[in-house]
Amino acid sequence: MPRDPKHDILFEPIKIGPKTMKNRFYQIPHCNGYGSEKPFNQAYFRAMKAEGGYGAVCTEYCSISPESDDTHRISARLWDDDDVKNLGLMCDMVHEQGALTAAELWYGGPHAPCMESRAVPRGPSQIPSDFEHLTYCKEMDKDDIRAVQKMYVDAAKRARRAGFDIVYVYGSHSYLPQQFLTPYYNKRTDEYGGSIENRARFWRETIEQVKEAVGDDTAIAVRMSTDMFMGEAGTQLERDCLPFVELVDELVDVWDINVSGISEWGEDATPSRFYPAGRLLPWQAAVKAVSKKPVLGVGRFTNPDMMADAIRAGQLDIIATCRPSIADPFLPMKIDEGRLDDIRECIGCNVCISRWEIGGPPIICTQNATAGEEYRRGWHPEKFTHAENSDNDVLIVGAGPAGMECAMVLGKRGMRRVHLVEAEAELGGGMRWIPQLPGLGEWARVVNYRKIQLDKLKNVEVISGTRLDAKGIAEYGAEIVIVATGSYWATNGLNGCTHDTVPGADAALPYCLTPEQIMDEGKPVPGSRVVIVDNDGYFMGISLAERLALEGKKVTLMTHLGHVAPYMHFTLEAPNQHRKLHKLGIETVTYHQPSRIEEGRLVATHVYDEEGHERSFDADAVVLVTQRRSNEALFRQLKDETGLDALRAEGVEALYRVGDCVAPRLIADAVFDGHRLAREIDSDDPETPLPFKRERHVVSAAV
Amino acid sequence: MKVVVCVKQVAALGDEVEFTADGRDVDPDFLEHALNEWDAYSTEAALRIREALGSGEVVAVTVGGGKTEAVLRRCLAMGADRGVRIESPAADPFAIARALASVVERERPELVLCGVQSSDSVQAATGAALAGLLDLPCVAVVTKVDVGGDGRGSAHRELEGGLLDVVDFDLPAVLTIQTGINEPRYATLRAIKQAEQQEIEVLSCPAGEPAYSVRRMFVPVRGEGAEMLSGSPAQIAARIAEIVNERLA
Repeated sequence: MPRDPKHDILFEPIKIGPKTMKNRFYQIPHCNGYGSEKPFNQAYFRAMKAEGGYGAVCTEYCSISPESDDTHRISARLWDDDDVKNLGLMCDMVHEQGALTAAELWYGGPHAPCMESRAVPRGPSQIPSDFEHLTYCKEMDKDDIRAVQKMYVDAAKRARRAGFDIVYVYGSHSYLPQQFLTPYYNKRTDEYGGSIENRARFWRETIEQVKEAVGDDTAIAVRMSTDMFMGEAGTQLERDCLPFVELVDELVDVWDINVSGISEWGEDATPSRFYPAGRLLPWQAAVKAVSKKPVLGVGRFTNPDMMADAIRAGQLDIIATCRPSIADPFLPMKIDEGRLDDIRECIGCNVCISRWEIGGPPIICTQNATAGEEYRRGWHPEKFTHAENSDNDVLIVGAGPAGMECAMVLGKRGMRRVHLVEAEAELGGGMRWIPQLPGLGEWARVVNYRKIQLDKLKNVEVISGTRLDAKGIAEYGAEIVIVATGSYWATNGLNGCTHDTVPGADAALPYCLTPEQIMDEGKPVPGSRVVIVDNDGYFMGISLAERLALEGKKVTLMTHLGHVAPYMHFTLEAPNQHRKLHKLGIETVTYHQPSRIEEGRLVATHVYDEEGHERSFDADAVVLVTQRRSNEALFRQLKDETGLDALRAEGVEALYRVGDCVAPRLIADAVFDGHRLAREIDSDDPETPLPFKRERHVVSAAV
Repeated sequence: MKVVVCVKQVAALGDEVEFTADGRDVDPDFLEHALNEWDAYSTEAALRIREALGSGEVVAVTVGGGKTEAVLRRCLAMGADRGVRIESPAADPFAIARALASVVERERPELVLCGVQSSDSVQAATGAALAGLLDLPCVAVVTKVDVGGDGRGSAHRELEGGLLDVVDFDLPAVLTIQTGINEPRYATLRAIKQAEQQEIEVLSCPAGEPAYSVRRMFVPVRGEGAEMLSGSPAQIAARIAEIVNERLA
């Protein structure tokens, strides 16, 4: 299909200072867990987006000095010439695809814990970080200011040597330049504090010096947060940001506009639970109205109509994407080729971000199992090798995320026939009903994307509403059988706190309920007082609390953990979800574990109370979000009761399982598991993942 | 009871389309092929009749070149007993009905099932034409069928406005089957493999006089007067409301 003419505007070149970008698709700086020290993973990851049509591709935040060391989180670094070499590989590979590269020069000030370098970060005022607990900075005197500005200049020169076309003087997310601009961080009384001119001075001088050093042939980008949602204390659009734009507009080649500070940066990297796409457009348009330079910004854009409208309406010049580029590095190419139903749309779950927040692990994506695997496993999101055992027929039992992904990849790898058989009438497994939890509607994209792809594959047949038993599977006629039957929530309170069941917990009783009983089976939640027992700590317990409170129940959310839903801190969903809990009057009880459930009440004890004092909670209903268990009965029947020999006699040469029915994990893990098996279905031992390339020093001689 | 099911391999357009050099057909490179949706239901109906009576034979018949055998193999994988392909250049419903009639006359079934229509040419004529040629009773657009061993059958027909026409008929008869009459069964991989090995009888039949011929096939030129609405869903909805109000005024 040719490109729709209404999207032509997205493919018009645009000048950014001394550089020209070939189209309007820009991969904003975002982390991937690779930094400068895993240069091959870094380069292959970024180059994939350039191959997919992005006109410019950025590093993640890129530290300019050991004083800005974010360990345990992983940033890029341009500290020395070896970093120049390592990031130079990324520049070379991105340039080969005709895209520009950008380095986001970063100095964290009080937010940088410097756990590897043991250096002392410097900042405008000595107040500990609101983001990184127990982290202090040295308050800068004038010599410090000049020293740090020289670090920016030296890093900019290294960036240019590495081959970067654009260098940032990065302030957003409340890093050093923005700290100077913001009264919340800047309590100075000298010429660097107080009035807007004074608060802007550090950033303005730094931009001037970087521009002077590299600006003749390198574009200067400034990333600014235009509202920190903190009232007077935070940066404000009208008071601070628009005057700042007018002050330095001449020096800047492109503005990168967003909102929020770092401690609530979910206002910028918005979970779909709270915000639709394009939520930052009003702030971006406000800057565009006063700047003469191109303005770019994110908004979790996946819809080309919205992108083109934003440019036509004068809200943005360049469409920056972060999470949508992770979910689909080929977003621009698919728009260009009119293949809109092939776009793998970001669902806004933020598990990508969770890995940065955790500190250390590589990036993952619910939608794109190949994200982060470009180099280390050699996976390409759009290219699939023909399977060497493609003359086999495959039966996949269970069409949840793992089964659907596995069927799709096996289809694309050219297996002779793939039958995906699902017991329910609708595809999706648990993802049939999870998107019906409050705010999670966009998560349905996991199922919808795969449904469309499966429908296009001639060698894949999807058979729903059909429950196969072990005999039916054995006699089905497949050489390869893959069980993907998912998981269920424990019905007896079994949990990871006590490693035991909860006395009295039994989902066969009318007043004990599991999540799928409520969401999928329509089991009524009796009475008005509900206690949710959440030993899981992610979205399920807290989402059910919200749903039941919206239905008018009086909800108590109890967990043995120190926080409710702690994983939502990593996905940036926690602050707004806590606001919701508060607004809905949901009582949270932490560090408590039920000791028994009776009709009408739940009895719990504090997990650190050595005397075990009991506390009673009135409860007409108890919802058990204690742990999941694999639905492995069918697999066990096939392997243990039917047996591999009997299966072989029926022509079944291999039996595997994928997803939650191996172990219940993140949706992203289930998708990965299905993808991984399909990618390696023709290896010597498909059940065991092939080793991946590890970037590390290897001792080559005796020390 | 012997049931003949007349099935067709239909063509579906992909995302793009080009025509043959003579401009009278779609370039086959741009077509995808499958068993006509209605024929999956009529095959299932035939299989259920055989199963309900505990004996009988289901014979699937199609008209076309060698590649159309794929749809017969689908019917065999579902459970049909035999497949017959009539090699014929016939293209219009009447020529196809003549080809099918030759096989029905030879097979002498108690029941002939056709789909109401095919999804590609949408003529809804083959079944009725076949009944006419064979001088058999024809019940069209059937949503329920019962046949016993007494040489009689009854069927429900779907009428407009939710009305139901209940028809009794004598066997042999031709029925055209509507989608939704049943839930067509899937074929296991084993059944598909077995169907691949099954012999398909090939007969030939002259096309005879075509009832009509295609002169030209083309994509209609887009007319004037269409207003494309763009903007946010709210803006589009507001514009639609405006237009409706203008027209009502």
